[in-house]
Amino acid sequence: MSDVLSLKPSYYEALKRLTLELAGVHLGEDHAFLVETRLGALARQEGYQSLNKMIDDLFGQGQTRLAVKVVSSLLERDTHFNPDPKGMKAIEEFLFPQLLSLSGSDRIRILSFACSSGQEPYSLAILADKFQKSHPNFSFEILGVDYPSPSLSRAQEGIYTHFEVQRGLPIRDLITYFDRVGENWCIKDVLRESVSFREFHLLSKLDSLGQFDLVLFRNSLAHYSSAAQIRVIRSLSSIVKAERYIMFGAEEALPTSGYNFDPIEGHPHVLIKHASPIEIEPEEERQLMPIIKYNASDDHKESA
Amino acid sequence: MRTCLVVDNSKMIRRVAGRILSDLKFNTEEAENGLEALNMCRSNMPDAILLDWNMPVMDGMTFLKKLRAEQTNERPVVLFCTAERDVVKIAAALEAGADEYIMKPFDSDIISSKLLQAGLLG
Repeated sequence: MSDVLSLKPSYYEALKRLTLELAGVHLGEDHAFLVETRLGALARQEGYQSLNKMIDDLFGQGQTRLAVKVVSSLLERDTHFNPDPKGMKAIEEFLFPQLLSLSGSDRIRILSFACSSGQEPYSLAILADKFQKSHPNFSFEILGVDYPSPSLSRAQEGIYTHFEVQRGLPIRDLITYFDRVGENWCIKDVLRESVSFREFHLLSKLDSLGQFDLVLFRNSLAHYSSAAQIRVIRSLSSIVKAERYIMFGAEEALPTSGYNFDPIEGHPHVLIKHASPIEIEPEEERQLMPIIKYNASDDHKESA
Repeated sequence: MRTCLVVDNSKMIRRVAGRILSDLKFNTEEAENGLEALNMCRSNMPDAILLDWNMPVMDGMTFLKKLRAEQTNERPVVLFCTAERDVVKIAAALEAGADEYIMKPFDSDIISSKLLQAGLLG
């Protein structure tokens, strides 16, 4: 750990344990700078004179509210509009037509799991709105869930900076779906009506969210511990309707013999749920580890 | 290697954009105004043009209209790159034949994102 960082090494180790216990997420040694910058900002926001003082209180007084804020702030991710162009193309050209033929005029429910500041759900909503223009029967709603955080609040506001809207969002989509508000850009009502957000502990049971036709959980899996990965995927599996889809990041894959999903030829990051799912036995779980080629530290370095 | 022509009357902007494009493996050329850029395009059409709006001699909009009216089979990707943020002006630029639009200030993420959307990266 660098000498320029102010946090006591023992506190850093304690924060790593806290994040693992509360959220199932591993913080690596290379996340020290991220911890300093994120928690330094939180300490100022909470009225502490120093980061160490806030961590003193956190572990000395065992404040649950502060623990949730600390962990949420460490888990925030830097996200872009249209984060994975190939994935978005698969949604537009394969998944939407499939879902339309399966669901008819029934409303299609899409979940953006770990949605951060909302760029993924809004990008999906833009794609779905365009698809709806050529397929009037297509009806959809999108739910974004993540830990409570300033990022999720920003997603709910739907206001993005000049820099954020230019990363991944084509200019035609910007002027069609956003209004300029001073120096920022605000989502228009036409998108806002189809997208909602909910604060959610991502390791908790997901049943209260209902059943979904498509679940997106992209490029976050690698941050989780082995046990948490299995837990999250099992939970997600339970809220995907039979013969509907789950989509991971381009560098992530599941062993498809478990979790009641089958691969789809030509779309390696999309899986379809069995028509008659079976209960997964706990002893089988250890064989169900996801395969991830993704480098967990990349986006944390960037977002620091 | 692809070529990008940076058209801007600010030497600093040309230098910053040139450095970003060079990191993205583009050959870069520079022009100070629309007229100089038009002459360069007539002799050797680039793959992409990063185009400022307000310039002396010939502005970006006039350049773009003239470029798109040229009798040629080559159609370079044009990215307007300007401080103009008015939606009406953005729409006018797209109507005149711009493929994408970058609002200043920009960074390397924005340039690479726009080039990716235009099919010139990745």
